[in-house]
Amino acid sequence: MTTVVQRPTLVRSSDRMIAGVCSGLADHLGWPVKFVRLGMILACFAGGAGVAFYAWLWTMVPTADENAKRNARRPASPIAPAVSLAPASGATGPSAATTYDAGPSPTVAGAPPASGSVTGNGSVLGNAGARPVAEPSAFGSAASPGDGAGSRNWAGSWDEATNGTGSTLWSWFTFRKIQYGKEILLGAALLLVAAILIARQFGVDVPLGTLIPAAAILGGAAIAWMQLDETRRAGLVDKTKADQAGGWTRLAAGLALVVAGVLVMVSGSGSWEQTWLALLASIAVLGGVALVLLPWGLKFWKDLETERAGRVRETERAEIAAHLHDSVLQTLALIQRRAGSEQDVIRLARAQERELRSWLFSDPAKESGLLADRIKAVAAEVEDSHGHAVEVVTVGDTDMTDRHEALVQAAREAMLNAARHGGGTVSVYLESTAGSTEIFIKDRGPGFDPDAVPDDRLGVKESIIGRMKRHGGTAVINSSSDGTEVRLGLPSISPDASDLRNSDLRNGEQRNGEAKQ
Amino acid sequence: MNNSPETGAGRRVRVVIVDDHTIFRSGLKADLDERMNVVGEAGTVEQAVAVIAATRPEVVLLDVHLPGGLGGGGREVIAGSGALLGTTSFLALSVSDAAEDVVSVIRAGARGYVTKTISGKEISDAVIRVADGDAVFSPRLAGFVLDAFGTAPADIADDELDKLSARELEVMRLIARGYSYKEVAKELFISVKTVESHVSAVLRKLQLSSRHELTKWAAERRLL
Repeated sequence: MTTVVQRPTLVRSSDRMIAGVCSGLADHLGWPVKFVRLGMILACFAGGAGVAFYAWLWTMVPTADENAKRNARRPASPIAPAVSLAPASGATGPSAATTYDAGPSPTVAGAPPASGSVTGNGSVLGNAGARPVAEPSAFGSAASPGDGAGSRNWAGSWDEATNGTGSTLWSWFTFRKIQYGKEILLGAALLLVAAILIARQFGVDVPLGTLIPAAAILGGAAIAWMQLDETRRAGLVDKTKADQAGGWTRLAAGLALVVAGVLVMVSGSGSWEQTWLALLASIAVLGGVALVLLPWGLKFWKDLETERAGRVRETERAEIAAHLHDSVLQTLALIQRRAGSEQDVIRLARAQERELRSWLFSDPAKESGLLADRIKAVAAEVEDSHGHAVEVVTVGDTDMTDRHEALVQAAREAMLNAARHGGGTVSVYLESTAGSTEIFIKDRGPGFDPDAVPDDRLGVKESIIGRMKRHGGTAVINSSSDGTEVRLGLPSISPDASDLRNSDLRNGEQRNGEAKQ
Repeated sequence: MNNSPETGAGRRVRVVIVDDHTIFRSGLKADLDERMNVVGEAGTVEQAVAVIAATRPEVVLLDVHLPGGLGGGGREVIAGSGALLGTTSFLALSVSDAAEDVVSVIRAGARGYVTKTISGKEISDAVIRVADGDAVFSPRLAGFVLDAFGTAPADIADDELDKLSARELEVMRLIARGYSYKEVAKELFISVKTVESHVSAVLRKLQLSSRHELTKWAAERRLL
């Protein structure tokens, strides 16, 4: 801790032999991996110290993924683009996020990665107060309150119930509220082990009769604690009940080892006969206790499940609240401040409406990047910059290509013109079929004469007509005193093709003719 | 719907407004011009069914989302007023332009659908049109129709329900492009009455068709 050198965070690397501990450690220390691995193996022969150290790191050190998830902040507020024109909207992002994370949402634990990974220290500490068993800060983020806390609770109470040494473990639980308390305790325990081992090397008499059961206890505890490995736990949560069996087996095996160890230690003799007897007796006692405690245990389990479901609901609610706070409330505040300017109010209301709509009705499963989405995005941009509503209706959709990008750009130019000169609502209609894609942009402005546009005005001639021609499409502008409509057509297949296209072209021409008169 | 009322000077169209927001109801009342007479208001499904049965209006302006009843909203009001469907027309109003909301209320029997952002003049015109037995299509509804029925015309122009005729498609396309009925008529060199009859035909198809694609389209959007 004396060095000021900035070291990479200690994480388990994906370049792994067993669990990626060594390579992670090597990265962290800046040593070659080979030496670290060799050192670890050597340490294993030093009375198993290496094994213990490795196991400890395995449990305590997150993988790179987990670490990244934990550190990831919530993505920028979804309203950000919608009210980006407003000066105050800058405040909606991070600050609002912190408000909600530290605030009423006791939800970080069960949350989906996107919002669950926000865990600042604040929220973890907040949880610690509310839970019977405090979440250690190291495991805060993706924990499922049901599985994790539940089984740990059980482990804790069993340990306490069965033997005296359990109290050490128990004190461990209470200590966990202190940051790094666990690490410090573990370190001390390991040092103790090391000291004992070294003492033995120097011929000091250490009673093996005590050590072996103690090792059994530690081993059992370790097995039970293996569940704390976050990846495993995430897996458990994902695969629901099916894999819980694995967790329970592990817990049972751990318990068995611990109980056996404790018994041997307590009986002190090490003779098998006595141990068997004691084991039988204690199993009987445990069975009795289990029978008595079963109803209580089941009720406890049910409560836990209910609480978990409630927590999920709470998470959803908090997420909605956070969204509304970041979007609607901010916009309403802005609207109040600018109540004088009708234009601004309409613009803000439109932007907010659009944002809320897309949040409520959009289908997250649908892949984006398709033409309809692009057109809607462009329409939104025009709407924001000019304050006139742009109504988009789409029928069908198609993948984006370079040619479609040109179509989008031409449509954008047409929308800009419509918003600038037409005033009022702009109607955009996109129809995409197997044969062709057409976009119509209509406004209700005073109209203009396309032929009278001077050659130096590039907006219409170059950006719309020229661009469409270059990409094998058509552009027709039909303007009267009732308004202007720009019709863009783009056949789907490239110029060197078939009958289908020809018929399309003919249709297009026909329509163009229609439009001309 | 032959009993279309005289919409001339003397007679006023009797309207009931159903919406759970009092502010919106009063705003809408103020927006409707002198050709209409608001004879009743309701804020829930039960109230709406009762008020409609009591006042027997010509047009009901119906919010798609309503509290009360079994949670069916506007659809449930139309179903509950089934006996009056011959004399009372429903015009759906919604802030939502989600396909499921729009199409479900149309299929329940509404004569048209407009968004709540519509202007006062437009809503008045729409009410008159519905009172005359015609259908009112917003560009978005026309878009849904084109999406649901596909954009390929029917081969033979009989009155099968599963496809739109070439002419109906043209009308729908123009409406989707933002054309008013008058503009559609001008564009296609037909009378406004003809446009209206095409739109009504499309509405009937939308309400009655059990076309496979339509079912699939609806199922994909969880309409069924």
